[in-house]
This record gives sequence, C-alpha cells and structure tokens, in this order.
Amino acid sequence: MSKRQQGKSAAKVVRKQLAAERRRKRTMWVSIAAVAVLVIAGLIGWGVYQSQRSDAGPLVAPASATTTTGETLGTGPVQVQLYEDFICPHCKDFEATSGSAINDLVNDGKIKVTYNTVAYLDPASTTEYSTRSAAAAACAADGGKFKEYHDALYAQQPAEGSAGLSNSQLIAIGTGMGLDQGSFGQCIDSGRYKPWVASVTDAAAKAGVTGTPTVVVNGQVIPNPTPDAIVAAVNAA
Amino acid sequence: MSVTTLTRDVTWPGLRPWLGTLVRLGLAAVWLFAGAAKVGDLAGSGRAVNAYQVMPFEVAKVIGAALPFVEITLGVLLVVGLATRAAAAISSALLLVFIAGISSAWARGLSIDCGCFGSGGQLAAGQSPSYAPEIARDLGFLVLAAFLLVWPRTRLSIDRWLEGTT
Repeated sequence: MSKRQQGKSAAKVVRKQLAAERRRKRTMWVSIAAVAVLVIAGLIGWGVYQSQRSDAGPLVAPASATTTTGETLGTGPVQVQLYEDFICPHCKDFEATSGSAINDLVNDGKIKVTYNTVAYLDPASTTEYSTRSAAAAACAADGGKFKEYHDALYAQQPAEGSAGLSNSQLIAIGTGMGLDQGSFGQCIDSGRYKPWVASVTDAAAKAGVTGTPTVVVNGQVIPNPTPDAIVAAVNAA
Repeated sequence: MSVTTLTRDVTWPGLRPWLGTLVRLGLAAVWLFAGAAKVGDLAGSGRAVNAYQVMPFEVAKVIGAALPFVEITLGVLLVVGLATRAAAAISSALLLVFIAGISSAWARGLSIDCGCFGSGGQLAAGQSPSYAPEIARDLGFLVLAAFLLVWPRTRLSIDRWLEGTT
C-alpha cells in the first residue's frame, strides 16, 4: 500500500469515527428530549386533574352530611357506613335484599347509617351519572327527602353504558316528592354538590374502599353483606 | 445469482427492521389504548393506583393523573419511531413496575382490578381478581419492549430518517 493510499484510508476511518460520534450524540439528545417530553406530559396530566377539581366550584356539604362523608340517618349507637354508587347494579341488588333490614335497624334505634354516595363509576355512563345522581340526592337531602330520593333512584336505575337519567328527569323525581321545583332544580342544574361528591369519593378511596357496595359496621368491612350478616355484626358490635 | 438474492431477502438482518416496525406499532397500540381508557377519568385512575395500597393517597392521585398522559406520549413516540430505544427502555421500566405492583397485590391477598385499561381498580361484587392473566399479558408487552430495547432500528421511523440526514 502506498503512503498516499494509507493516508486516504486513515482519513476514511477518522470520518467514520466522527460520523459515529455525531450519531451517538444525536441519539443521546433525542433520548433526553423524549424523556423530557414524557415528564412534561405527566405534569400536564397532574395540571389537568387539578384544574378539573378547581373548576367544579366550592366544596359545601348538604344537610346531615360532612364534607367527606354522606348523609347520616338514625341515632343508634352502632355506626354503619354504606358505600354505594347509584349506577352500580350490585348496589341496587344490595338495596333490594338488605335495604329493609337496615331500615329496621335504624327504626329500632340500633344504628346510625351513613350513605356514602360515591362516584366510582362515572365512566360507566356517558354523562357522569354517578356524580350527577349523588349530587341530586344531596339536593334532596337539603329538602329533607334523602332516603326517599335514594330509594327512587335505585327503583329507576339506568343501565350501565347508557346516558343515565337526565337532569330534568332527576328534578322531576324530586318535585314528584314535593321538593320545590325552583330551589331543588337550581341545586341540580348548578351542580352545587358535585365537588362534595368528589370529596366523599376521594375520602372513600383513601379509606381503602375499592368497590361498591361496601358495608362497614363499627369499622369492620362485612365481606358478604346479607341482611343476616349485617344484623349479626350490629348485634356483636 | 437469483438464488443468493432470494436467501439474502429472507435473512434475519433483512427481516428484523420490519419485524421491529410491527413490534413498535404493537407496543404503541398498547400504550395508546391504556392511556385513552384512563384519560377521561383521572380521579378514577388515581383510585386505581391507590387500590394497590403501596403509597399514600395523595401520591397515588398524582401518579394516577400523570400516568395516562405519559402512556399516550409513549404511544405517540413509538408510532412515529422517535427515540425508540429510550421509549422502549421506559416502557420496560413501567411494565416491570406494573408487574411488581400486581404481584404484590396478589401476594398480599388484595382483591382489586389491575386498572390497567381503566375501570378505576374496582372489582365488581362477586368477581374475583385475575392476577395471573394480567401478569402474563404484561410479560407479553415486556417482550415487545425488550425487542425494541435490543434492536431499536426499525423501518418507517423518524429515527431512521434522522440517521439518513447525516
């Protein structure tokens, strides 16, 4: 090989090395940029969630409820916590089989029961029916008709995957019970208790409730909440 | 002559970048579906994370809100083939975390839905958890991610186009 040829191939090697180095650097910067974009995407997600929360308005609790728990009925010594979603079919089944046992326990002065009307299943309707129905029941609570309204919502439970009952249907159910068309309708249409529903739902998740219905008697989850199991747990408490 | 062309056409190095494209688009679809299923219910996504009971609720809410957006972005990166190796590395890491999470929920006897494709971690009453299929599915996705981690050069990708510009 002549000197000239050697010089040429050496230059070729150097060029190749420089090109490889450029590729390596570019890959590194592209990767760093991709990671940065992913981090930014995550931050955007958190921002979107925060703004969804704050857009919903101020947090006010309805009558006989707190900002983190649902309406409480009865004055008995044993505390029963119910976690229900108005679109959840198993909650309807639960109400059908165990609802009267709970009513009896309330009427006999044995328990006080808190209806934590959570919105776990908002994606199960096309209109966030879980949130809207729970907020409507809170409006009914202000008019002193929570339990009646609660029972009516289960009697007319819409199917999962549907649009659920419209706001005007929710209002009609209330006015049918004698609730004031103006104030009750305004309460539903303005979404006054939607932030409260979100807060109760959050509190339930924080308490470790992963599904509805969940029945808790004096702090103990009843795994299979039949009427007998609930009565037995109340008597044992 | 024609025989050598034929054999060269079906060799592994010739086929691999195209197979890589399929793998890349497959993994992209996984992330896009997973992200899209959760992005409409960020609160539910946070509850699903919280259902694993491995972090405080406040932290779970942040992770739950951020995750769908990260998943969709990963999906977009993989669709266009940009930073494929980095996207594959992060995909692998995320899938390993998911597999670890599901395994630990299983080991602790929790009764939850993995929340992988929405559903907020809630298991319908009477429904038992299906941890083994969920882990098997994630392991399958992990194989896709590992393929791209080892062989990130694929056809029809921005990475390849960038390579051609120097």
